[in-house]
Amino acid sequence: MSEIAHQDHTEKKAFLVNSSSLKDVRSFCREVFQKLKIHEDLKEELVLAIAEAAQNIVKHAFKNNADANELMVVQISCENNKLQIAFYDRGTPVDPNKVKHREIDNVKPGGLGTFFIQEIMDAVEFRDGKKPWINHLVLTKQL
Amino acid sequence: MSYKVSEEGNVATIHLDGEIDMDVTEKAKEVIFPHIDAGKEVHLNLSNVQYMDSSGISVLIESHQKALEKNTKVIIKDVSKSVLKVIMMAKLEQILNLE
Repeated sequence: MSEIAHQDHTEKKAFLVNSSSLKDVRSFCREVFQKLKIHEDLKEELVLAIAEAAQNIVKHAFKNNADANELMVVQISCENNKLQIAFYDRGTPVDPNKVKHREIDNVKPGGLGTFFIQEIMDAVEFRDGKKPWINHLVLTKQL
Repeated sequence: MSYKVSEEGNVATIHLDGEIDMDVTEKAKEVIFPHIDAGKEVHLNLSNVQYMDSSGISVLIESHQKALEKNTKVIIKDVSKSVLKVIMMAKLEQILNLE
């Protein structure tokens, strides 16, 4: 847990649902975490977790085939030193019971993104998406 | 992502530069795999790669496994601290050839 008191802050941004948006998601996160004065090492871990979640939206919720104008929203909130990152998308509804990473000892390409998210974050929760959204993922981390 | 390739004897040295994510993995494979398929020993220099996600890690795993099939190897050189952290999170530091 961080000894620094991070200021309360919320920012959100919409991104096109495609793989070339992932660098923009990372830039957005880095900018917000800079404002929150999050330590460099933790910052890059959080950026990885968020980018992996955004990648899952592109790859799984939309199967790499989203309409050109389709959007996903990433919202980063910090309150009382607790970081909450929310994702909203209108892809195929996610069945949380089917979101599993591969066995880590079974070395093969793929299946690591969810593992990284779970390793880095304290909690991963799929909530009911409210219209117009279908999926609402929330990642939390105590700073 | 940009890259530079040099060859000497049976060794192909590939310098990757930039951030390796899902958006560039196909390009990374196009750069790396032909050398493995040709039976070359591939030295993959990652000193200028400061960010790699699970897609990039998958390229490293696939390259390693493809090299084993071809009786050659991929050696990952000068990996940056941030990328090493991701490799270790995936528990691959004993699997991949790191120098």
